[in-house]
Amino acid sequence: MMPSWADCVPMRWPSGPLEIARREKGKDFSPQTRDTLQRWHDPASLDLLKGTRINCLLLSWAAGLPQDAEQQRTLAPLMECGRQAGLFFVAWIDGAPDKAAAIASARAAGCAAAAVEAYEGRTDLPLIAWGTRSKAPWDSAAPVIAVSENVWPCIARGAAGFRDTTAGATGMPWVDSNGWFLQMARARMRAENIWLLYDPLGGNTIEISESYRIAVADCLAYGGRWVIALDDRLRSGMVSKDPSATETWESIAGAVEFFEEHKDWRRYRPEGVVGVLSDFSGHNEDLSQEFLNLLFRRMLPYRVLDKSRVSNVAFDGLKEIVYLDEDALDDDLRQKTLAFVRNGGVLLAGSNWKSEGPVIPDAANPRFEVHRVGKGRLAVSKEEAIDPYLVAADAHLLLSHANDLVRFYNAGASTALYTTLPEGGRSLLQLVDYTTARKSGNEITVWLRRPYRSARLWQMGADSPLVLKKAPEVNGMEFYLPPIKSFAGLELE
Amino acid sequence: MLLRRSLNGAAISAPARPVAIDRCRTYGSELLPTLESLFDRIGGLGHLVKGKTVGVKLNLNLGPTNRQGHYPLGESHWPHPRLIAAMMHCMAKAGVHRIRLLESAWALRADPLEETLIEANWDLQLFVGAAARVDFENTNFLGSGTTYSRFPVSGGGLLFPAYDLNHSYQDCDVFVSIAKLKDHSTTGISLCMKNLFGMTPVTIYGSGAGVDEPSAIPSGWRVPILHNGERQPPKSSPPEIDPKSPRDDGYRVPRAVADLCAARPVHLSILDGISTMAGGQNPGMFGVEVVKPGFLAVGANVVNTAAVGMALMKYDPMADRGTAPFETCDNKLKLAEECGVGTRDLRRIETIGPPIQELAFDFRTLRAKREIRRKALQARLRIGERA
Repeated sequence: MMPSWADCVPMRWPSGPLEIARREKGKDFSPQTRDTLQRWHDPASLDLLKGTRINCLLLSWAAGLPQDAEQQRTLAPLMECGRQAGLFFVAWIDGAPDKAAAIASARAAGCAAAAVEAYEGRTDLPLIAWGTRSKAPWDSAAPVIAVSENVWPCIARGAAGFRDTTAGATGMPWVDSNGWFLQMARARMRAENIWLLYDPLGGNTIEISESYRIAVADCLAYGGRWVIALDDRLRSGMVSKDPSATETWESIAGAVEFFEEHKDWRRYRPEGVVGVLSDFSGHNEDLSQEFLNLLFRRMLPYRVLDKSRVSNVAFDGLKEIVYLDEDALDDDLRQKTLAFVRNGGVLLAGSNWKSEGPVIPDAANPRFEVHRVGKGRLAVSKEEAIDPYLVAADAHLLLSHANDLVRFYNAGASTALYTTLPEGGRSLLQLVDYTTARKSGNEITVWLRRPYRSARLWQMGADSPLVLKKAPEVNGMEFYLPPIKSFAGLELE
Repeated sequence: MLLRRSLNGAAISAPARPVAIDRCRTYGSELLPTLESLFDRIGGLGHLVKGKTVGVKLNLNLGPTNRQGHYPLGESHWPHPRLIAAMMHCMAKAGVHRIRLLESAWALRADPLEETLIEANWDLQLFVGAAARVDFENTNFLGSGTTYSRFPVSGGGLLFPAYDLNHSYQDCDVFVSIAKLKDHSTTGISLCMKNLFGMTPVTIYGSGAGVDEPSAIPSGWRVPILHNGERQPPKSSPPEIDPKSPRDDGYRVPRAVADLCAARPVHLSILDGISTMAGGQNPGMFGVEVVKPGFLAVGANVVNTAAVGMALMKYDPMADRGTAPFETCDNKLKLAEECGVGTRDLRRIETIGPPIQELAFDFRTLRAKREIRRKALQARLRIGERA
């Protein structure tokens, strides 16, 4: 029986004539790649999945190429074998095929669903709507949406590879992560589930097991599902039973297993005293999304407020709202936002926001003019062209570190998500560390404002959590984390 | 100031003022009485601070989120907040008018100093409540001022003839340097003298400084101008005296420190040796470790106090370049002494308190052991590269 979509653990399964046809024109295509694609088409290749949580394979199904029919026909043995093993299949339809025909053939072949971009026809086969980031199907009522054009999560690498790390505007190594995007997606989508597609970097880059563990954590920690995608070298090694490849694969499967064992973490909801209000699209897309990315990199917890869905959402718990869109808010939302300010909140707005209230002379900021409105403050940008890096820092500064919920020391190349159960009581702090060096990681200290009684630290690969001692600190408490590798989940109670 | 020099060039008339030292093992209840006693032993604070505005340079190097392991910043490389608050309390009792806490905070932006302190998990109430009028200023840029203040170096200067600094260093009647005792990768040691290097705003002396004018917002680091001399400060500030002088930071930074000590006289120096770091000035450097020497030192002359501080670290303040801790740099105490700031000769400095040997903590031996480890590591790396 098919599991719920929330429990699907998907994996791309590139194989067969369609994949060969697609790939053989590329410069990286080799006889070994062809061999691997053929061997992964063989039902015996499914043995690789034994003992893992992976239960859903995305099959290359139709791309509008002559090989489509052969692909679908030759997949039958693999699908039959998979069904007996409890797997189910999603037909991946891309390129320019006859989508209706491809969906019909997927249904006939026993696929559980088809993933197709921008299809408006009717079918009784469940569809997974997919699109690129800028065309993500936020309004789709599908049980799952899939989004492509994501980043491979890692410390940003220059042309020279690992050793050529790129310093970001923060002075720290820049981290490519999908975490901010997933936080935004969860606020914008109608669907319950989101799958992200991202592939290893390829080329001369060899992904080690730590890279894949990070790839798993970067999605699952932030509320998405990574459609597992392996590099050619690894897939080749796996079918050849190469020990190193086997070890890497077991590590990936272990990471997936870890998050499945903690699926109760999916119930937690983001904390944050900063709300970022935008439609995140059209001419506001670049600025608003880069702003989220940079706020995320500052490890400042925030909540995403989708302008089109926020009318019934209270600003409870927020201390600051950032609204940088070019367009004026509609009157109701504007009044609601101003009421938030009058009650003591801070509003950071673009230059189009009509100033009101007296200027506060002592609140000098190079980029914002700060006004007193009721009990709160309205900070209006002095400049039309906004630098999202500086404004992300301004947002933190105008709010003040005095309002921090959480602080990190020695966090280095990490990102974090601070969440709480909807009914309260328990919180969860997840940290993803993008360092792949096999030596031990940083000694991170976490400061939390809330007075938790206990903290249990989960790390991938550990059978049981580590109970952390709390150290009372100014206005809160600190927890001293042992060096973490790739991921740590701190359960707080 | 007129200087008499001996034949070998050493200043023999540089001021010598008493330095008080004592055991203090924790930042707990013993801290305040020990500090009060130290101030009393050098003549008390009343004559120095009563009715005056006091500027305190804090020695907050690197950012507030960088820790040595899990240690709070005050136990490793920043002066402990309770020591700062205790000092402020003593000044308040002595009738201080205003205290301004000053630091060129490590920030890529013009953040108020308070934000840096909060981010470090410091309780601002500890400071605000310690005296009647307390200000904070991030001196890495103009801050609350409208122009930079120029500080000519008495005697003409060794590296620059004058330095342009945030107005707060001028707008105080009394200037205090409070610092940890640490090793330093460039200048051998970092005490109350080296602390003054951090007065220089990166808007003028940082890699992001403008060519003609200071940048508006701090960015970059001091290496290209003050360490390596790859470029000059903006044209609005005095250029260095001799652009053909060595570009070696072991030559330049000690001279800049000596200049700054001469340009902005320090009236009170406080050394936090209760808990500190050995092996370097920043967390995460090779071989750095938190140590607990358990003492405090207080003096009215910055060079005298640094000299006693060095002795408390089991280093010789008379050491020349090539000798620990000045293996690769000039002795900044010697340079400052030659500028007439103060003597480094322990025979001329009255040390009030237990014998130095009784309190001293052996940074020197730790340094030697670390050097052995470093060389062994380098050898292993060379073998690895060859393999």
